[in-house]
Amino acid sequence: MTFEDALQQALNGLSFGALLFILAAGLSLIFGMMDVVNLAHGAFYMLGAYVALSVTRATGSFWVALVVAPLALAVLGLIVEPLLLRRLRGRHLDQVLITIGLSLVIADFIRLRDDWGWGATVRSLPVPPGLDHSIQVAGSDYPIYRLFVIGFSAALALLLYALHRRTRLGALVRAGVGDAQMLSALGVDTDRLFTFTFAVGAGLAGLAGVIAAPVFGLQPGMDVDALIYSLIVVVVGGLGSLSGAVAGSAVVGPADTFGKVLVPQFALALIFAIMALVLLFRPTGLLGRVRLGR
Amino acid sequence: MSDQNHLAAQRGYHYRMSRRAFLISTSAAALAACAPSTSTGGNAASSAAASAGKAMKIGQLLPFTKVYAELGNSMKRSTDLYLKAKGNRLANRPVQVIYEDEANDPQVGLAKTQKFIDQDQVDVMLGVVATPIAYAIRNAVDSAKMIYIATNAGGNALTRTTNNCTPSCKSPYIFRSSFSSYQISEPIGEYMAGKKNVKEVFTFVADYGFGTESQADFNTGLTKMGGKVTGTLKAPLGSADFVPFVTQLKAQPTKDIYSFFSGADAVKYIQAWNQLGLPAAGYRMNGAGFLTEQDVLAVVKEQANGAITSLFWAVELDNPENKSFKDAYQKEYNLLPDVFAVQAWDGMRALDEALQQTGGDTSDKPKLIAALEAVKFNSPRGAFEFDKDTHNPIQDMYIREVKTVNGQAVNTISDKIGRVTDPGK
Repeated sequence: MTFEDALQQALNGLSFGALLFILAAGLSLIFGMMDVVNLAHGAFYMLGAYVALSVTRATGSFWVALVVAPLALAVLGLIVEPLLLRRLRGRHLDQVLITIGLSLVIADFIRLRDDWGWGATVRSLPVPPGLDHSIQVAGSDYPIYRLFVIGFSAALALLLYALHRRTRLGALVRAGVGDAQMLSALGVDTDRLFTFTFAVGAGLAGLAGVIAAPVFGLQPGMDVDALIYSLIVVVVGGLGSLSGAVAGSAVVGPADTFGKVLVPQFALALIFAIMALVLLFRPTGLLGRVRLGR
Repeated sequence: MSDQNHLAAQRGYHYRMSRRAFLISTSAAALAACAPSTSTGGNAASSAAASAGKAMKIGQLLPFTKVYAELGNSMKRSTDLYLKAKGNRLANRPVQVIYEDEANDPQVGLAKTQKFIDQDQVDVMLGVVATPIAYAIRNAVDSAKMIYIATNAGGNALTRTTNNCTPSCKSPYIFRSSFSSYQISEPIGEYMAGKKNVKEVFTFVADYGFGTESQADFNTGLTKMGGKVTGTLKAPLGSADFVPFVTQLKAQPTKDIYSFFSGADAVKYIQAWNQLGLPAAGYRMNGAGFLTEQDVLAVVKEQANGAITSLFWAVELDNPENKSFKDAYQKEYNLLPDVFAVQAWDGMRALDEALQQTGGDTSDKPKLIAALEAVKFNSPRGAFEFDKDTHNPIQDMYIREVKTVNGQAVNTISDKIGRVTDPGK
């Protein structure tokens, strides 16, 4: 492999990792705050992509969809959390079951909505005008949208970091991750905080769906793929922390890409092998902290 | 039990069932268990003496969930349309079709096939999209002596003589109305090296049984005419990201690429192909026909322009049968038929023609097999008949090029390779 090829593949890996970050951030946030492994995260991602498809068709603008679809998913989160998850608080197995159930309902709903232009056939969201061409990178054409994904994801990470570290809301979330019971004893309405967190997590899944749709397309099964990748990212990076999601996606994205290039027969196993190694030697993930039992 | 209740109590609920709830649920279960068994009791007698005039049961094993759900829907639409056109009677016998979902899982497919054999006692069975499922049910079908017409699954071994029948092998009871992977891959290899004088080709296929088979068959055809495959790249089935692979295609010097992908993979491949500027860099896309079927073209549109593929049908194919098939399908469903609809249609048509020869008799298996072997008709794809040796169709292969016609990306027919049959081993 020449240096130019390696550079191109590094960009491919980086942009894949950037997408994974947006996807995993929501999952990680929900887990860190609420101690819920939201297995409907992949379905939220899928629904975000399909909502974006409908919005883009209706308004002709990708950018409107980029705002509307995450908001729609956040609203869904606002409904789902109090309705389904609140009464199962602390019952992990039951939460797992209900979120799997929810993901099946969403995936089947999308499959049956042929009349909305969704359905079981492959769909695609066009790359927004202005970002649909290629530029010269290292002596070869490179799609500009992928560079946009890297930039967008980095900006999002900075924004989330600032919210997390510099605002009152961020402080509440951090306190909730640390000890939700104590937070509640101090007079904070943790129910509202949990609902809000879940809505933000769902919105982030929707956002990932919109951003990924022009690259990966829309088809049945995309929810499961997304869920598996995001679970790997949060396990590798460390559950429940923003920096963990960054670290996880920075490892898994390039590893997946270079795995496909250098050892294609082993590509799928490679990221699972990385996950297994991390679990063996750093069970809390690369940047995870030791959690005290609750 | 008490442990369980204890655990449940800790979580704030309990498992204990009231006597009334117990009675209701068990009697419901008992009723549910009885219902099918009483009905099969009646059928056991009738199907043993299946003869003209009695209702005929056709089992259709199709994917209605998972990744191939839309293929299953298309094949069901086509089957329903055929029967509707025939007034729901074949050879003067009323027909009952039983649809089951194979869920793209060999174990589920096998269980549903057993249901067709034991419980429904169907007269014939059709369907199956994915090759591994067809391989998984092969022995069950063969030992039950049930006539089965595969309407998609294209793995070569299903209609071939193989060592120890691994992974599968032909059976007198198995026919195929679709294609073998040899048929859609080998002729285009011969065509490229022989007729187009393309001597060097790089191959890029999906890394699973069918992709590997297509690659090998293409290689056979190309080498036969003095060409050579300069290298091979494989992508795992359902890869999320195709750009890393296409980057590798661009990093190697052979300009002609042969590919086998379908559905979502094909869409991602063609999009990555354009994003990375391969057409401008002089690369040419070739492949087995599923690479540019309507489901793919509807999404990628003119991005696939110039791609050359081979298949036994195209929606644009100009013959009277295709025209009337398309018209009927469009009138019923307001949709253009796809290649899967044609395969299901031809499966029903072949069965219909054979039943007319046997006078609707499905109980005499050798007679029905002989009738199916003798079937000849004009299908939407052109002349159709089964190879008596393999039970795989003998059919024309069309070389198609994607072009924009009247603002729509379509497969235009540029050449034809006549009467292609599978070598059978």
